[in-house]
Amino acid sequence: MIINPKASDVSDIPPEWLAEFEAAARRPLPLRMRYAFIKTYKPVMDDAPYRAFDTTADYRRWCEENLPDWLGYGRV
Amino acid sequence: MAAFEYRQAQEIRDVFAAHAVRYLFIGKSGAILLGFPDTTQDADLFVEDSPENGRRLVAALRQLGFELTDSQAGDIERGKDFVQLKNGPFDLDLVFAPDGIEHFTDAWQRRVEVEGFPVCHPDDIIASKAATNRAKDRESLPRLRSFRDYWLSRR
Repeated sequence: MIINPKASDVSDIPPEWLAEFEAAARRPLPLRMRYAFIKTYKPVMDDAPYRAFDTTADYRRWCEENLPDWLGYGRV
Repeated sequence: MAAFEYRQAQEIRDVFAAHAVRYLFIGKSGAILLGFPDTTQDADLFVEDSPENGRRLVAALRQLGFELTDSQAGDIERGKDFVQLKNGPFDLDLVFAPDGIEHFTDAWQRRVEVEGFPVCHPDDIIASKAATNRAKDRESLPRLRSFRDYWLSRR
């Protein structure tokens, strides 16, 4: 992966997103986190206290085979 | 289980530092630490996959209050690629081999420190989400890429 620190042009950012980014930048981190982290029950996913997968591919496959589509964990 | 809180992120930072665990916040939780205004459920940590780091990680997790059996501790020490913990004071995903990032050391060199939290560079967060190619990530990527441009413009 190549990181190009000059490849940024805020003029391409939709104004409403830019306003949100600037508003977030004015908030202290604890407040940003309070707004950002939410908890809702995710069926199947939240029903076991522990899961481990040998490979990330195994995890992706498990998500596709076991989670409801509407959770959005399936690959497109 | 309540939502993940700043205080808990501090506990991770402080306890992991005490145990010298090498890790990075990744995913949307990492982006949020960088200032990305969005919502997420859990914290995702990209952890260096080495036996020594795994042992340090297990000790740190137990100190934080995660109830790990010896078998589960063995999974983590051996570096299973993905471990999902819901047996502690908060939910945590441990990612040892995220899609889109070849080596931990590369991401570590590019990391960003936010109030002492080690966070993946936005380009690594984007690369990981793009490589995953999930519906929920595809939806968030355009806004995340715009945030990356905004974030770089302020550096």
